[in-house]
Amino acid sequence: MRSHLTKSFGLVAGLLLISASVWAHHGTATSYDTEHVWTTWATVVEFRYLNPHPSLRFERTDKNGKVEQWESEAGDNPSQLARAGWTKSRSMEALKPGTRVKLYLSTARAGGYVAVVEKFENEKGESILGERRDYPNAVDMDGVPGGYQPKPQDSK
Amino acid sequence: MTNNTGFARFSRRAVRALALTAVPAFLLVQSSAPQNVAKVDRVATSAGSDKDTRPYDKHDFTGLWARNPGPFKQPACPECRDRGPVAYGYFGEVPPRTPEGEKKFQMNRPTKGFEPGSKEALEHADIDIAYRRAYKAALSNDPEEHCEPLGLMRLIAFSGGNAAMQIIQNKEIIAQKFEWTWDNREVWTDGRALPNVDDYLPRFNGYSVGKWEGDTLVVTTVGLDDRQWLDAFGYPISEKATLEERWTRPSPNRLRIDMTLTDPAMYTKPWKASPKVWALIPKEAMSIAGWSGLVEDRCVPSDTALYRSIQDRAAGVKESTKK
Repeated sequence: MRSHLTKSFGLVAGLLLISASVWAHHGTATSYDTEHVWTTWATVVEFRYLNPHPSLRFERTDKNGKVEQWESEAGDNPSQLARAGWTKSRSMEALKPGTRVKLYLSTARAGGYVAVVEKFENEKGESILGERRDYPNAVDMDGVPGGYQPKPQDSK
Repeated sequence: MTNNTGFARFSRRAVRALALTAVPAFLLVQSSAPQNVAKVDRVATSAGSDKDTRPYDKHDFTGLWARNPGPFKQPACPECRDRGPVAYGYFGEVPPRTPEGEKKFQMNRPTKGFEPGSKEALEHADIDIAYRRAYKAALSNDPEEHCEPLGLMRLIAFSGGNAAMQIIQNKEIIAQKFEWTWDNREVWTDGRALPNVDDYLPRFNGYSVGKWEGDTLVVTTVGLDDRQWLDAFGYPISEKATLEERWTRPSPNRLRIDMTLTDPAMYTKPWKASPKVWALIPKEAMSIAGWSGLVEDRCVPSDTALYRSIQDRAAGVKESTKK
């Protein structure tokens, strides 16, 4: 499992790091392990349309039935979102409490249940909160306890 | 409504002047040709990819400008983007720092750039150390992370995202509004002299006067508050710093600003920034729900506090919810 993850993530690591370090507003790559993007289904607890970036509290249930409570940075700056058609009302509606979403996540380098959401999809498979880049090598970790947790060598 | 809110941050004196001059001028410009029609010219468009050869006024900077025209569905502007491995910078050839400058530089902990020891930092070992010393946001003292004012040079240099700016101009004053942090600065072109900075309080965007040298507006700024960073990478400035900006409009859809910072307290020689170039964005193209213009993209302290609480947890500063 670990070698598979390393191989898959390695293919996109360079590009991810370049894009994150060049364009991220607030040092995303320094706080989150953007080399290891993974996916999970989640349920929205609370979405907040804030500056400089929105935030999302969500729950995910592991394969043992344990519910994990996560906190995340979520999405572009509101001015960018609004210009892309994702106004506050539309975004809040798309991510109202109880909504099921598929999330592409980068876990905090410090580990734990904190992440940045790289991309959102609804149950129809549509990208929401703006068009984001594809993550073809993101690893499906739905149901895996803790999702992806950075290893010591990943924590810079 | 939002435009008026932005002007509330001007000084009383500036607000009075703007009420009498800039705002009427802005309204006039929106509905008529540029004022300085005698200067209208047809020029070669050698500056980058803008091939527009329509007549325009080289002395008129009025309009909405962005260094990333993509979100506004405008033609790409490659020369608008920062070149090099990192963005959001003043850039140019970094001069040696004085001992005092080095001391202040070491105290600043930016989030931008590459982390020390990272693969990218090692690959770009030839670039200045400022671009290779990034901290986690939670451990940074970057003013931006705390909603402190960015300061003039940083407002101008900020370009990596989609932040736009607006220029409102008449014969006496140029008002420059910046979308990110909803800040503004003024350039007086009424012939006044610069203030004696020792008699004035410094302020984050300083005191600026402009005069024309041919088709170049030369803007000189003094009285900059030394709590600001020169750019996102933590370069310091002192309150004795002088900034010269040379504004040109090399083609109808391009605005270029060349900056030189002279700050002998911090740097051993003047520092020229890399050129900053903007693309003109038609008003109609910068519109949300039928309302055109800049977005009120403020840094709201309470929002930022919540955001930073997540950053703190990401950095392991506070106990996470992991059981």
